[in-house]
Amino acid sequence: MDLQEKLKILADSAKYDASCSSSGSNRKSKHGVGNTALSGICHSFASDGRCISLLKILFTNCCIFDCKYCLNRRSNSIKRAIFTPEEVCSITLNFYRRNYIEGLFLSSGILKSPDYTMELIIKTVSLLRHKYHFHGYIHAKAIPGSSQKLVKELGLLVDRLSANIELPTENELKRLAPNKTSQNVSSIMNYVNQNQSKKYVPAGQSTQMIIGATKESDLDIMNKSASLYRSFHLKRVFYSAYVPINKDSYLPSIICPPLTRENRLYQADWLLRFYHFQVKDLLDFKHPNFNTMIDPKADWALRHFDEFPKEISTCSYYDLLKIPGIGVKSAKRILTARKHFTIHFEDLKRMGVVLKRAKYFILCNGKYFINHKWFQKEWIEKNLVLEEKIEKEENNMEQLRLF
Amino acid sequence: MNHVYVYDGDYLSLLNTIFYLLKTNQKVENIKPENYSPTLFENIIHFNIPKQDHLLDQIIQSFGISVARAMYYVFLSEEEKKELLLYYFVYYALKYRKKIMYQRNLKCVREVLRISNYVLHESHKLKGFLRFQELQNHLLYAEMSPTNDILFLLSCHFSKRLKNEFWIIKDVKRKIISIYDKKKFVILSEREFKLSLEKENDQEKMIEDLWKTFYNTIGIQERKNDRCRMNFMPKKYWKYITEVRDEL
Ligand code: SF4
Repeated sequence: MDLQEKLKILADSAKYDASCSSSGSNRKSKHGVGNTALSGICHSFASDGRCISLLKILFTNCCIFDCKYCLNRRSNSIKRAIFTPEEVCSITLNFYRRNYIEGLFLSSGILKSPDYTMELIIKTVSLLRHKYHFHGYIHAKAIPGSSQKLVKELGLLVDRLSANIELPTENELKRLAPNKTSQNVSSIMNYVNQNQSKKYVPAGQSTQMIIGATKESDLDIMNKSASLYRSFHLKRVFYSAYVPINKDSYLPSIICPPLTRENRLYQADWLLRFYHFQVKDLLDFKHPNFNTMIDPKADWALRHFDEFPKEISTCSYYDLLKIPGIGVKSAKRILTARKHFTIHFEDLKRMGVVLKRAKYFILCNGKYFINHKWFQKEWIEKNLVLEEKIEKEENNMEQLRLF
Repeated sequence: MNHVYVYDGDYLSLLNTIFYLLKTNQKVENIKPENYSPTLFENIIHFNIPKQDHLLDQIIQSFGISVARAMYYVFLSEEEKKELLLYYFVYYALKYRKKIMYQRNLKCVREVLRISNYVLHESHKLKGFLRFQELQNHLLYAEMSPTNDILFLLSCHFSKRLKNEFWIIKDVKRKIISIYDKKKFVILSEREFKLSLEKENDQEKMIEDLWKTFYNTIGIQERKNDRCRMNFMPKKYWKYITEVRDEL
């Protein structure tokens, strides 16, 4: 099999992994090849609009396990391939020198045993770092079930390490991935969390959950995320809408991946990490799933309507953060700007506020953006739903035109 | 008659002109680089003032490093009246000093912010989109045609990233090239340095094909979204991007 075909197979098998980010590491090179950029760099954008920054491949798509949702499971009859460590190095270096990529994202199916696979990954990465003096970004998957000694070794070589939690509850994991336990995954996370430093996994760890392959509610998912952020200080939890690749009585029969839901989860995840929201603010047993019509922050604001409208010139930083359409950056800008001049609606736009959402919830110097009598929940809700619909339709129109 | 003051074309000479004009209280209608072609109603004014190297330090010290950067980025832009804009900006900056960027009610402050962000943004994008080819003797070569004059900014980036390589980056639009020799880079005009490059080469084609294979495989068909792709990677750059060039 030639290299072209191998790459095609092993990139194809890796593409459902959502994480692509190459940020958070600041590696400098004295000798050798490359460095990493703290803010991350996107080198290209794929046909689905996702950023390409890393050479995302599997070492092999052969696997002894049979996870129901996975393309590479043992019981699927697909073409299989295995790279050699030198092949991975050569592709990575050649791509990096031409500025195609920021680095390597290496994952793998399980060959023989978790330890055996981990050793292959370590061998590859260590060749890159020590023989070829590659200082670009490396993100590697830690294989659940491998020994702690290997997790330790791998962590010293890479920028980011991740172990996928896959599903939010233990029960569903048992049902769909009978060879995996969440215990295996959390013991890796725990070890990385306790040892993380400038030398060990400097860009931190992340994980991924598959959305929509099982019956769990958004509340289950968010609770799981919150607990992962809390216990292991993960940098990111990625959500990946389930793409129906396998037919199986264990799996829901859907045609389209649940992209709106995935989007809502990312929005809510953002609220947890940067906006001081808690899961219980957003969801509860009565409302276990996000509103598909309105984004989580606007939805929250409508449910706490009596706290609005907020006065831009006086309200606190935390209150600013609760306003739909205002982000961390724009909130900080407002804070410094209002010391120096009175802010008007026109100024807000320049500060990065998304006015078409924010305007419904704020006052500027006591003034609402139109007559104050329109400040009514039903009217605002209707407008927000409409806005979302228009945005979505614009996107869909584009998709229709393509087919 | 409009009075137009001209400067050498480099940044330091522009700063010199601006500070001289402010000091001597001249009436200023426009400032332009030397090679600019005036209209009938314009009266060109040259003056030979000694260049003061310390002006850059002075700007950094009195306005702060981020203001100094923003001013330089504006200079790199293609904005029609960037020189005049910088003139007004310096006028107010001398008044407000380090607080100048908070004066958002001044149009020149808003413009400097907007334009400098735009230049910075483009240079960040091209850090990702620039594509090198390997020519004979391991020389890496890239072409681009950016809206703003970001060759210097990119050269700084790649002299760190591709530290141990020989590389050349060419701005096709401005006919200037940056040459790096594993120690430092110099920027020359095409007139000063003739490039003769042999481009076709099998090994290179093989690697480009590998990359195209990867690119075409990694997109998920079920999630195809061309609008999104175009937003992030505008068509104007495609000509020089290996993996999408053929789609044009
Ligand atoms: S272990 Fe990984 S590669 Fe193997 S079947 Fe499960 S998810 Fe797929």
